[in-house]
Amino acid sequence: MAANRLLVPLSDTVTVRQTVGYAVQSGLEEADSLECHLVVALPYDGDVPEGDQQLEDAEGLLSRARNWVEEDAGDADVTIETATIGADEYLFGPRDYAEIFDAYADEHGIDRVIIDPEYQPGVTAQLLQPLERELERIGLAYDEAPVERSARHSRLAGGTEDFDRLFATFLISYGFYLVLGDPTYWFDLLTGAAVAGITAISLARVTFTVPLDRVQSPIRVVRFVFYIPYLLWEIVKANIAVSAVILRPSMPIEPSLTRVNTRVRSGLPLTALANSITLTPGTLTVRANNQQLLVHTLIPAARDDLFDGGLEKGIRFVFYGRESAAIPSPRERDDAEIVGGEEL
Amino acid sequence: MTPTSLENVFLVAAGLFVVLAIAMFYRAVVGPTTQDRLLAVNVLGTNTVVILALLAAGLDQSWFLDVALIYALLNFLMSIAISKFTVERGGVL
Amino acid sequence: MIEPIALQSTVGTVRFWAIVLLLGLGVFFTLVSTVGVLRLPDIYARAHTASQTDTLGAGFALAGVAVAFGWQHAAVYTVLLLFFVFITNPTAAHAIARSAAETGVEPVLTEENAAEPEASAERDVPTETDGETQ
Repeated sequence: MAANRLLVPLSDTVTVRQTVGYAVQSGLEEADSLECHLVVALPYDGDVPEGDQQLEDAEGLLSRARNWVEEDAGDADVTIETATIGADEYLFGPRDYAEIFDAYADEHGIDRVIIDPEYQPGVTAQLLQPLERELERIGLAYDEAPVERSARHSRLAGGTEDFDRLFATFLISYGFYLVLGDPTYWFDLLTGAAVAGITAISLARVTFTVPLDRVQSPIRVVRFVFYIPYLLWEIVKANIAVSAVILRPSMPIEPSLTRVNTRVRSGLPLTALANSITLTPGTLTVRANNQQLLVHTLIPAARDDLFDGGLEKGIRFVFYGRESAAIPSPRERDDAEIVGGEEL
Repeated sequence: MTPTSLENVFLVAAGLFVVLAIAMFYRAVVGPTTQDRLLAVNVLGTNTVVILALLAAGLDQSWFLDVALIYALLNFLMSIAISKFTVERGGVL
Repeated sequence: MIEPIALQSTVGTVRFWAIVLLLGLGVFFTLVSTVGVLRLPDIYARAHTASQTDTLGAGFALAGVAVAFGWQHAAVYTVLLLFFVFITNPTAAHAIARSAAETGVEPVLTEENAAEPEASAERDVPTETDGETQ
């Protein structure tokens, strides 16, 4: 019987060990020999500061998984291949993942994909269900590993992470409640604590999809406070420029669509950048896909500001620190271009 | 300055905002696309929030600010909900 | 609930004129924004100037209110209100623009509208696109 070739995408979850175990066991049931491809899909290009760290993590995970397979295989004939894929392209949605898995499967003659039910590459939210849908669309055979869910959310670091999230959500909702109410009145203090407790328990996982960092997160908040005056100054400048154009009877507007490849991570940083761009009159984010922003600009001055990347530098300062802020502007690194209306 | 003149300043400002809101209403009625109307209504909502805050100062009723806050939140939800609704499969946000 | 607090009846002359100036600027930028929304040719261009109301229009007017309330709870409230407007409105504007893009509203770009943006608006912007995806 021919060798059974399996593709096992790995990510650092509680159930990854069981998934590997299931892959080996089910693969050996169907055929005498097994070729097990362990891959880690890296969500970002190495350009982001965290890139190197992620590459290291991926290597660590792969070598651990190799040991697991050897352990489970025993004397059986198992070949192990490991790889990191996707490092040279932007991976954003489940569709991108499904496509790179499909490309890999084609290249190596894979029969079946074994998916970890908790599969969660990078920092994006869990994407099992959309991933399954995309795999079905592409027509790649897959199998979800049956794992014990009792272990869910109880990984080693889970305890403190969950506490951090609960605590942060509690603090934010309690603070908000007290600003609306009266911080000196005992009734408000009591009901506020109760309400904030309920909010924290029910919404902590929704509010913070990324684990908080005890050192970095407060620093980011402080840096964000410094970013606000700069943003306000940009808004005032842009407001005056746009007002001058609109109030002139001839109204010399030059609307154009531009595409900018940003150097900030998807998620909160990209949201902050896109919102800052929209908040500045004269530039409007129409689409935000991967790290690409499609921005509509009203006047040439606003377009130049956008291409100079002042806001991008500000956001990089907020999230990655002062050193990371000093990057070339999108114009200099050729990441900004004017595109036609058909890009929409 | 007497307090009445300050309160009148707020009431006059609120009146001007109402006039601007009515002008904005033209875009909400004419459109032509659903999104144009939605945008106009969204700006109208922001104007309403500002008018409520001005009245809170002008009429000395600081609880108007509570109403303004809720109005701001509902205005946001309305914009998101309708934009999502206009796109068939709800691909917005 | 906030306790009803009387406006400080003894505002100084400087503060009075500061409030008048802030409210005046607020009204001015909202006026510009309204003119823009009425004049500009398409939804994308209008969204730019709509954000003027959200930023400086509302910003200056609410700042005026906060200055009038002085160092009180209501002023904190006003600042919070402004913060909300700042956080939520760009998101709403982006959602509206994106929904326009997804329903296939073509933007009026420089090449297409040379002289009369008003006139080209009537031609280029498609009428009602009821939830039609591209």
